[in-house]
This record gives sequence, C-alpha cells and structure tokens, in this order.
Amino acid sequence: MKIVVLNNCVPFLRGGAEHLADALAAKLVEHGHKALVVRIPFRWAPPEKIVEHMLACRLMRVPGVDRVIAFKFPAYYVPHPDKVLWLLHQFRQAYDLWGTRFQGLADSPEGREIRELIIRGDNSYLPEARKIYTNSEVTSGRLKKFNGLDSEVLYPPLLTHSQYSCAEYGDYIFCPGRVNATKRQLLLVQAMQHCRTRVKLLVAGCAETREDAEAIESTIRKNGLEKKVQFVNRFISEEEKVDWFGRSLGCAYIPYDEDSYGYVTLESYLSRKPVITCSDSGGIEALAREGSTGRVVAPEPRVLAEAMDQLFLDKQKAQRMGEAGLELVHSLRITWDTVIEKLTK
Amino acid sequence: MKIIVATSVAPFVEGGSTFIVDWLGNQLQARGHEVEILPFPVSESYPELLDQLLAFRLMDLSSHGDRLIAIRTPAHLLKHPNKVVWFIHHYRSAYDLWGTRYQNIPETPEGSAYREAIIAADNVGLREAVKLFSNSAVVRDRLSKFNGVTADVLYPPLLSPDQYYNAGYGDYLLYFARLTHHKRQWLAIEALSSTRTPVKLMIAGCADPGAEPYVDDLFRLVERYGLKNRVTILPRWIPEPEKIELFAGCLGVIYFPFDEDSYGYPSLEAHAARKPVLTTTDSGGTNELIVNGRNGFITPADPELIAHAMDEWYGDKELARTMGEAGVERIEELGITWDNVMERLLA
Repeated sequence: MKIVVLNNCVPFLRGGAEHLADALAAKLVEHGHKALVVRIPFRWAPPEKIVEHMLACRLMRVPGVDRVIAFKFPAYYVPHPDKVLWLLHQFRQAYDLWGTRFQGLADSPEGREIRELIIRGDNSYLPEARKIYTNSEVTSGRLKKFNGLDSEVLYPPLLTHSQYSCAEYGDYIFCPGRVNATKRQLLLVQAMQHCRTRVKLLVAGCAETREDAEAIESTIRKNGLEKKVQFVNRFISEEEKVDWFGRSLGCAYIPYDEDSYGYVTLESYLSRKPVITCSDSGGIEALAREGSTGRVVAPEPRVLAEAMDQLFLDKQKAQRMGEAGLELVHSLRITWDTVIEKLTK
Repeated sequence: MKIIVATSVAPFVEGGSTFIVDWLGNQLQARGHEVEILPFPVSESYPELLDQLLAFRLMDLSSHGDRLIAIRTPAHLLKHPNKVVWFIHHYRSAYDLWGTRYQNIPETPEGSAYREAIIAADNVGLREAVKLFSNSAVVRDRLSKFNGVTADVLYPPLLSPDQYYNAGYGDYLLYFARLTHHKRQWLAIEALSSTRTPVKLMIAGCADPGAEPYVDDLFRLVERYGLKNRVTILPRWIPEPEKIELFAGCLGVIYFPFDEDSYGYPSLEAHAARKPVLTTTDSGGTNELIVNGRNGFITPADPELIAHAMDEWYGDKELARTMGEAGVERIEELGITWDNVMERLLA
C-alpha cells in the first residue's frame, strides 16, 4: 500500500510524536509498503490560529495514496476516503483541560466559540475515519466521554531496538527520563529521606529548566541524601539506560496524569524489573498492576518510601513482579508487527 | 541560519522537483544550517486547486525560521517575513498551456474564473517574496509575461557531480528519464529506425503512475521497427550506482521532453560524465544549456534529422568526446554550482 502518515509539526521541534511517525513510516517500509510522513504546521496562539489551521487541514488533499494514518488534531481533519486514526491526543485545552489552569483558551465569548468549533469539528470529522485507534485507555476514554466515539487501544511499541535484559537485582531504584515538575522526580527524592533500608535512587535525564534541577539538588543537599540519591542531569544514551535498568532493583515512574502508558514502564518490564507508580499517574495504570507487576501507590513521600523499602527487603518478590511485568508485555503484544497489522488492515 | 524549505509534492512520485528540494536541504545542512524540509501533498486536479491554495495561505509558518525558501508551486503562497522563492514551474494549465491541447481546465466561464483566481493568487504570493529566482530563462520569461514579476535565473546543480565518471564512449545512446508521454522516448525509437550506423539506444527510468500503457507502446514500437537488438528498455527504478554506470559507458545522452521548463538533470548528469547531449528545438529548457555543435546537438523534433545527429557521434567518437568535454566548461560558464546557489539564496 501507499501510505501517508499525517502529523502536526512545529518547525525545528521534534518530540515523541515526530519520532513515532518516523518509526511507523520506517516499519511500514520494512513490511513492504511505501510510506511518507507529511507534517502540517500547527499554531495555536493566538487562538484564532487554531481555527485557521483546522480549515487549512480541511482544504488539503492527499492524492495518489491508498491510505492515510493521522495522529493528531488538526492533522486528522485532512479528508481522505481511506483514513485511519492512531490518535495520540485531541486538542486537550478544549476538553479535559478546559476548566483547569492548563486551559489555554480564554473563558470569554471568543474562547468559548473556538472551543465549540473544535468540538463540533471533531464530532463531524473524526467519524470519517474507517477506524480510530488510540495510544491509551486515557485517550480512548476521553474520546468516548467527550465525543461519544468508540476506539480501540493500540499501544505504541518502543522506537529503538535496544535489547533490555536483567543483570541483577541491585540496590537502587531507577528513574530515567526528562526531569520536570509533571514527571515528579522531586517527589521521589523527597521520599528517600523516609526510607529505612539502604535502598538508593538513581534519577537520570535532562532537567527541563534550571529550576527543575535546582529543586532536586537542593533537596538532596538539605536532607543529606548525597549517599542515597544520585542525580545524573544530562542526556542518557540508550546503552547507559539499558545498563542501568539491567542492574537496578526496580523502576519508579510517577508522572502526573500522563496520557500514555509510558515507554519507561515498558523498558522496565523488558528488563524484568517491577515498576512503582502512583494512583494519579494516568495512562501508566494500563500496564501497572498493584502487587503483581509492581506497586501503584498514593503520591506521598512516606508511602513511596515504604514501597521502595519493600522492594529492597524482598528482592525475590521484586524479581517475581518484574517477571510478571514481562509476561504482561508479551500478552499485550506491544510490537510493531501488531501495529502494522492493525493500521494496514 | 534556521531555514524552512517548503514545497508541494505528488506523493511517491520522484523527479526533478523532489531532487532540487532534497539536494538543497542536503547542501544547506552541509554548510551548517538548521533545515526543516516541509513537503505538502497537492492534487493537480483543477477543481480542487483553489481549496488547496487557501490551505497554503492559512498554514502559518511566519514565526519560525530565519528564512523560508519556497520551491514548487503553490509553496510561494505560504506567508513568511523572509520568503525567498526559487520558482520551478507554474500550474501550467492556467498559464502557457492555456489554449493548447494540454490545457486541463475547460474553457468555460467557470474554467476561466478558476484560471484567473490561480493567477491572482500567484501574483500575491510572488510579490511577497523578498527575492525571486527561477530555475530557467523559460520560467523567468513566463513569470514576467503572466505575473509581471522579475526573477533572476538560478540554475539548479546536481547534488554531487563528482560521483559521475567517464568510461569511454560506447555504442549506445542513453535516454534516462521518467517514462511518460511528454518525455518522448518514442521519438528516440523512431529516429533510431532511420539511422545508417548500428548505434544502439538504452531507455531507462520509472514509469509515471498510470503510464503503463505508454510503456507497452514503447515496446510495441521497438517490435514494429524491428529494433529489438538495438534498443534496450529498463522500465524500472534504477539504483544510483547502476545509473552512474549507464552514463559512464554511453556514447552520448538523449533528452527530448516536449517544452520542458528546465534543462533537466539528465543533461547535467551527461556533462558530469563528459558526455554530449542531443536535444530538440522544442524541448524548452535544454536549449539554455546546450549550444548546438558545442556541447551537444539541437535538432528539430524530426526523426530523420535526429538520426543524422546520432550517426554523427557513432561515426566520430572524438567528436562526442570533444562535445562532452565542452559540457563541463558550459556548466562552469553558467555558474551551475552549489556555492553559487547558496550565495544567492542566502544573500
């Protein structure tokens, strides 16, 4: 098949969605298809721009291809007789973020009108798709709740070919990834002062802002946690990540209300390591089973400390949970073969 | 500099208009610029065209990048405070093909309105450019005639001419291009049937989408003239090393498109391998590069006259060599180099 992958773009910025689009195109080619990523600029400020870009997408044509696979608002407005969605998220400011401090759109007559347009547009044009897949239960749930549309969850597989494995169940809890307020690494560092065992914490990843780094560093200093917490504030290579997962006791991944299950969770299970997450972490829930593949606990320092201590005190249990995680990953078939099969069906 | 290179594409169709974009991106990056290449699909069907022109107008890139370089129409409709247009062709049906049998917009009041709207939109987008270049004198002249704007000719170079080499002057002429009617591979076959020497012909390239019947016709034509032993047709994508080898070994290169906008990359590839080019007076842009009798031959599109030129190289390979080598000089003379392109696009 000739397939166009439709995504949004902000020129000169590449995030998770762009990497996923590139990986999907590469995998489609591996499976004998022709694939091309088309990136449509999207600007949302001032808010009138949102409407202009919705219209631009609606006016575009994609000739000479058998299928388009669209990821995001408003790229999924582009008309095509054979359109399949792999929805990563809608324009959240008009939906679940409306009425929160992340709303973005003004609660003014104009703001409300733009919100209405977005919802009406989604209600009209989303059903054009032959099939809607989403990246998580969270995205599917919102689509059902706000637009009354059914969808099927299709988990994005890992983008890299790294070979995760377990070397040992060591003494430290590993927390990789971008460091910022919503990923809540700070909460883990705060938890460490309540730990009663010799369990350690390794936070590894680039701090998004100077303040994010400073908050963690000063918490370590003030509480004398230098021997218990290591903060590697820089870009982590794939090799390092694989190695640090392999020698860890387990993984902690406690973002606030994330849309997706989180690659970190998957990487941890592939390394046969249990995952500690929080009850308000959102999409992670899809892969986390309290007491069976790790721990799902309240986002409180003392509770997190206890969960980490328990892993340290019962490494056999940590191992059992990590292995259960690996089985879960296999049973959910989070692989590119599954993705290609569904998206080209 | 942060540079956006924007263009339109027919998805999965490769050709001169995609190469110029990829190669420009490559050269900009090689010179340390940060480049974002944005190809947007466009349907050529005229009733869908105005919608798409508006789509280009609405996509807002104005706050990104230090410069936007627009290549294929209608990318010049994108708004950007520092927009440079390197214009490679119009939506020709509304322009020079209007009133010819290649015109695809009907000559009805509605069709005329479409045509006028297209021209009006182009007039706006082109005038916004801080600098306007065309890829040939043909296109420059059309811009002047139809849109009333002045463009400087900036010839597009090959990505890496150094890859090409010369392995002598063999017994075959090479026609390397997409297989599609207006490239007129059939004219080369017809001409070959009138030659007096046993010169051979190699036709190679991908068939355009939907051009399969045309390819069948080419094979039938070879059959009809009894040229099976002298004509080879490779109707497929040719990998780069194979292509370079075909150029290296040929006697000369044939390029007969009908009224094309630019000289065509095969002409540059020929010269990069020090081969002469045989083209016709009605081929358009090739006439800007080829000087008749110096770096190739330009004949009327007449099989007898073309056959005569074919025979001349076959009978005198020294002549083919002299002309091929003159091609290298000609490229320098016209400033067809990336250094020149960069200097002018980024000035």
